[in-house]
Amino acid sequence: MRLLTLAFSFLVAIALGLGVTLYAVTHSRGLDTVRAGAWEGWPRSGTIKADPYARAAVARSGELPLELADGLLFLATTDDAGRPIDGRCETRITGTLPQARLWTLAVMDEDGRFIPNDAERYGLTSAEAVYAATGGIDVRLAPRARPGNWIPTGARSRLKVALRLYDAPFSFASGAGDASTVLPHITQEACP
Amino acid sequence: MSLFDTFTLRPSHPNAPRAGLGHRFGALLGRVPWLWPLRLMVPLAMVLVLAAIAHIVSILAMPALAERNAFARLSEITDANVMTLLPEPTPQQAALPMMDPAFVSAVCLFDLTEHPLKVRVPATADYTSVSFYTDEILPFYALSDQAAGKVIELDLMNADQKAALPEDEEITAADRLVIEAPSQEGIVLVRAFVRDRSLRAKVRRELAAATCARAE
Repeated sequence: MRLLTLAFSFLVAIALGLGVTLYAVTHSRGLDTVRAGAWEGWPRSGTIKADPYARAAVARSGELPLELADGLLFLATTDDAGRPIDGRCETRITGTLPQARLWTLAVMDEDGRFIPNDAERYGLTSAEAVYAATGGIDVRLAPRARPGNWIPTGARSRLKVALRLYDAPFSFASGAGDASTVLPHITQEACP
Repeated sequence: MSLFDTFTLRPSHPNAPRAGLGHRFGALLGRVPWLWPLRLMVPLAMVLVLAAIAHIVSILAMPALAERNAFARLSEITDANVMTLLPEPTPQQAALPMMDPAFVSAVCLFDLTEHPLKVRVPATADYTSVSFYTDEILPFYALSDQAAGKVIELDLMNADQKAALPEDEEITAADRLVIEAPSQEGIVLVRAFVRDRSLRAKVRRELAAATCARAE
């Protein structure tokens, strides 16, 4: 009887430990998170100093992380108010972008796949974007075509937006990244 | 009674169960009536410590054990020490997850056990970069065309091959970029930015000229 309890608690412990591991690798991309509004970035996961959680997440997902010397990835799954980005709404990404040689925006579904559409538009780049006179951008994510910077959403209920800044002269080593990095705002309107 | 019995340990009460320290501590706490939930605390704490160990070990082992990491996925579509253009990512299929749709990518899976490699990438009209990863997907080096110039040319070698480089050769080829790989196998990822979708085919042709071959 005693042995049975011991074996049972041992199994519970292993299951608990592995469960936490599974949660960690599917819900996080590393420990050193930089937040700016709704955006989250993991600058150190693109270096040789990547922490064990970042390395485990990358090994499981099968991706090649963007190296920090190359660029920096920010992901957003919610708007500034914390609501999940809904592809049936009109989502606006507005503001100025930090200085970089180029930037790209990509829209994906929850699992990281691009949204199928006839125009084969999966994102927007700094070369294609239309800028306001102030130098800011106003990107619209909507199921139907919009004038200006439009990215189709295919009316998916949950979206993930990736912003990549290439050759950006940042330094996150000091930990001052959060304050000095001001990324565009994400707002949603006209939800059904 | 033999002579050796002097050295054997006996429980003080022959009928008492041989209990572990944890159990005894639990029993002690159990004597205080309003503290009875604490009796459960000891086994619970043991379960939590074990769970933490299982969690840490599995996180640390994952890069080595993951069967579907980027290296494994790319091994299915390309051989070692050859530069291969990756197919365009589409909603239906992508060689790797989380690729930037605005870029054209090529990969070379390197294996340095036999010889060092020379990686040559002609810089395209726009942003071009080369990134290096170990077979456990640890990023160890990256550079972009701005740092390199017209043609990005790199020598990739392991620690032994780098140590074997003749010293005078390093002087004559001062601009030669030697990169030491921390692992025998890994991935070289070459990416070029596409400014306009009509230029996509042109950038693909330019990147197709990138090579990854045995160094002379």
